[in-house]
Amino acid sequence: MARRRAKYAGYSFLIPWLVGFFGLTLGPALASLYLSFTHYDLIESPRWAGLANYIRIVSEDAKVGDSVRVTLVYVALSVPLKLGFALAIALILNKGIRGLGVYRALFYLPSLLGASVAIATLWRKVFSGDGLLNHVLAYVGIQGPSWVSDPDHALWTLVALSVWQFGSPMIIFLAGLRQLPQDIFEAAAIDGASARTQFWRITLPMLTPVIFFNLVVQTIDAFKAFTPAFIVSGGTGGPINATLFYTLYLYQEAFGYLRMGYAAALAWLLVLAIMAVTAFAFMTSRSWVHYEE
Amino acid sequence: MRNRPLSRSLLYHAVLCGASLVMLYPLLWMFASSLKPNSEIFSSVALRPEHLDLSAYTRGWTGLQIQFGHFFVNSLVISVLSVIGNVLSCSLTAYAVSRLVFPGRKLCFSLMLGTLMIPYQVTLIPQYILFLHFEWVNTIMPLVVPKFLAADAFFIFLLTQFFRGLPRELDEAAVMDGCSPWRIYWNIILPLSLPALGTAAIFTFIFTWDDFFGPLVYLTDMENFTVQLGLRGFLDSSGQSDWGAMFAMAVLTLAPVLAFFLFFQRTLIQGIATTGMKR
Amino acid sequence: MSTNRRGFLGGTAATLGLAVMPARAQATTRIRSYWWGAKDRADRTNKVAEMYMKANPSVSIVGETLGWGDYWTRLATQAAGRNMADLIQMDYGYIFDYARRHALLPLDGFVGKQLDLGGFTQQSIDGGKVDGKIYGVSLGLNSTSLVYDRAAFEKFGIGLPDWPMSWEELGKRTAVLTKAANRPGYWGMNDAGGSGPALEVWLRERGKQMYTAEGRFGADAADMSDWFGFWQSMRTQGSCLPPEVQALDKSDIDTSGLTTGKSAVSFANSNQLVGYQALNKSRLDIAMYPAGAPGTKSGQYLKPSQMFSIAATTKIAEDTAKLLSYYVADVEAGKVLSVERGIPASKPVRDAIDPSLDDMGKRMSAYIAFISDKVGDLPPPPPRGAGEVLALMVRTNETVGFKKLSVADAGKQFMKDCESILARG
Repeated sequence: MARRRAKYAGYSFLIPWLVGFFGLTLGPALASLYLSFTHYDLIESPRWAGLANYIRIVSEDAKVGDSVRVTLVYVALSVPLKLGFALAIALILNKGIRGLGVYRALFYLPSLLGASVAIATLWRKVFSGDGLLNHVLAYVGIQGPSWVSDPDHALWTLVALSVWQFGSPMIIFLAGLRQLPQDIFEAAAIDGASARTQFWRITLPMLTPVIFFNLVVQTIDAFKAFTPAFIVSGGTGGPINATLFYTLYLYQEAFGYLRMGYAAALAWLLVLAIMAVTAFAFMTSRSWVHYEE
Repeated sequence: MRNRPLSRSLLYHAVLCGASLVMLYPLLWMFASSLKPNSEIFSSVALRPEHLDLSAYTRGWTGLQIQFGHFFVNSLVISVLSVIGNVLSCSLTAYAVSRLVFPGRKLCFSLMLGTLMIPYQVTLIPQYILFLHFEWVNTIMPLVVPKFLAADAFFIFLLTQFFRGLPRELDEAAVMDGCSPWRIYWNIILPLSLPALGTAAIFTFIFTWDDFFGPLVYLTDMENFTVQLGLRGFLDSSGQSDWGAMFAMAVLTLAPVLAFFLFFQRTLIQGIATTGMKR
Repeated sequence: MSTNRRGFLGGTAATLGLAVMPARAQATTRIRSYWWGAKDRADRTNKVAEMYMKANPSVSIVGETLGWGDYWTRLATQAAGRNMADLIQMDYGYIFDYARRHALLPLDGFVGKQLDLGGFTQQSIDGGKVDGKIYGVSLGLNSTSLVYDRAAFEKFGIGLPDWPMSWEELGKRTAVLTKAANRPGYWGMNDAGGSGPALEVWLRERGKQMYTAEGRFGADAADMSDWFGFWQSMRTQGSCLPPEVQALDKSDIDTSGLTTGKSAVSFANSNQLVGYQALNKSRLDIAMYPAGAPGTKSGQYLKPSQMFSIAATTKIAEDTAKLLSYYVADVEAGKVLSVERGIPASKPVRDAIDPSLDDMGKRMSAYIAFISDKVGDLPPPPPRGAGEVLALMVRTNETVGFKKLSVADAGKQFMKDCESILARG
């Protein structure tokens, strides 16, 4: 009896989550799944549509292709760049140099700004044809295009925005680095291990749970990225769909053109795609993520 | 380790300072814009205002029907409650899925991650209707209650990863001593995870403070507005806007988050001391 | 602070009060109103609400307000929750969507009773009609207009944009301006090739229309190629912004080339003059869009810049209709609202406020008076999908501008995409 109780003791810790999941989260999620099989304009009641939304998405809608391409490029570029940057800065900041707190706050500043309207205006100022970036480039003799409004480059400015807001993964890396037990490093130093060896043999392996976390979360986030394109392109995804993120398209359909059923179908296909990628990440994680056992 | 060559340290500082400039520029720009008259904000490229104009701050603070300070209080209440709720509920949940063994654990964890993948744009409407039934619309309940119920899987996952990194022998020794899981959670896991909990607190505060979509949908009376909604109160892209006031208040809006950040990042530093000692 | 202000005295008590105690009852009727705009509009709208509450102690009015973009997201959410405010500000581009989906209340039954439209011309009443019924009442008359930097034209002695100048003539003058100013990053006018309202005026001036009464697109591929070709020639001759600069323009006042100091002419609405002037240093003025063949009417028309509608879900329709009437027809209220939302449609209100208008208000008022006999009739209502066609306009114009599509193909491509949008609805 006692064993049995112990066996299920974990659930007592899960009570808040269980209440939240069944009370607040599951219902709306299932509702959106149901809506994906309907035509729903938000005002009139949903009408059953069967698979019509899904069929249209995979076979007829050219914008889906555009938005999938934009999103994949964005994920492939922004995630590694952002994480690499965050890890590098976290490692430097972890050296115990002077003014650590100030730097950390400074590096977090861009992330504090979040997705305010101010950022949209700023981005257009910095990355337009006569913007700050091109003034800087002019010093080294490069004449840059109007990055933010040129269909061939606009996506890059959003990748830049994402990388620039690397504060969150940086903080998580820092917290991870802080949590590494110091005695291992001391023992290694006594054994004569170089800083480089310590990094590759101790720091990196012990940091893998945190790296894995950042990788998964940032990838999911990048797939769902919405706000950067929404504010910088003014919700259009322009110029010429160059920044039409998948979720931005979804939002346009849902709230711009009142096609919530179609948007829900788009959303659930996205969920499937993210699930596949995440499952893949978890499968491979067994070979490279080290937990304390 | 302690005595690094001076040149190396200088190099680090040079790199960091350069990078800091890029990070700082937007704040400078926002501040500069808040000092410019409206007619200058969009037309001039220069950072330095031609005419120094502080009136945007008074226009911003007292310009809307409700004083802007009121929005600060609202945001603060929501954010602080969210921090408490999130840290408590998510650490409980994360402890269960990372340190305890029970049937259905993996399923629960997968479901948690699953909720992370659904774009909020499509759950917004059903959730709104749900909260409408609870009569929670135009109150802070829709923004705060989910935090106490571990609805944001990001934080569960974050803490899970940290908890899994703690040495297993700790629990085993504690179990030998006859500790219940609750005591292990409270007396061992939480104190050892201060950096992680601090991180979760910082993020919750900032995410909540910056959140726009939730308040937009749920808070209708201006009396209940958060700062982010208040900021938008100065703007109407189709008509007359007071951009100067918006920038002025946006600068002020950053102060509490920055303060919270500076305060809580101490727990990140204290964290090592604790971990170091225990081992 | 988390007070849910919808107290138990809310809707139910109000309806009871109406049914049982007709005159001044103790019970309060709580009317929720919702509009988009910023501070100035909020101040005026709230002031009128206070005046109304003072005169009607049994009514309490709660105002909710957001900027343009956010407004529609929340409205759609509230519509889905059957929780719309009682009195809602409506736009010409959205009223058909909401009315045809039965989210709005037809107001014909109130006219002459709670709702006083005596001072309205038939045309301004018709502007709020959808499929023959009144769903919105104009808060201000409005029309498309060029908002331009008067000082820039005068500085180089270039003829100001004026009626009836042709589209080509506007192109010529702005090309001269570009040359005369001779500043890198500065051109005569914005590129309006992606502007739906501009296209509509242009089409009407060549005897076509944007949408037919049957809800089909009113022009053909040749028209559209001509249109995109016209703007392509504007780009080559330096009249308007190049595509990478135009793409910074999000059809907002703050991103318009005129505001960012990159051009001298913006294609806008007449009630936006004040908003533009606030963000611009030099003196702005308004003029009509260019004209078609000599002697023909302008393609412009008077439309309500903003309307008030009543939600179909309201439980206090009659009280809301009375409040609506106060906003649009009461002289004192009109003095407070002034021309901030456009020129009032009610003649008594217009006459009462005219003497007290400031310089900007006078120019707007004079503009509406000037164009009144030159503009055409209201077009047939836009079909479902019209909003998406506007986005298609921008995209197609950009594709041509960035030379990823020829002018000849653009017409065909546009028609194909447009038809599939309208077919889907």
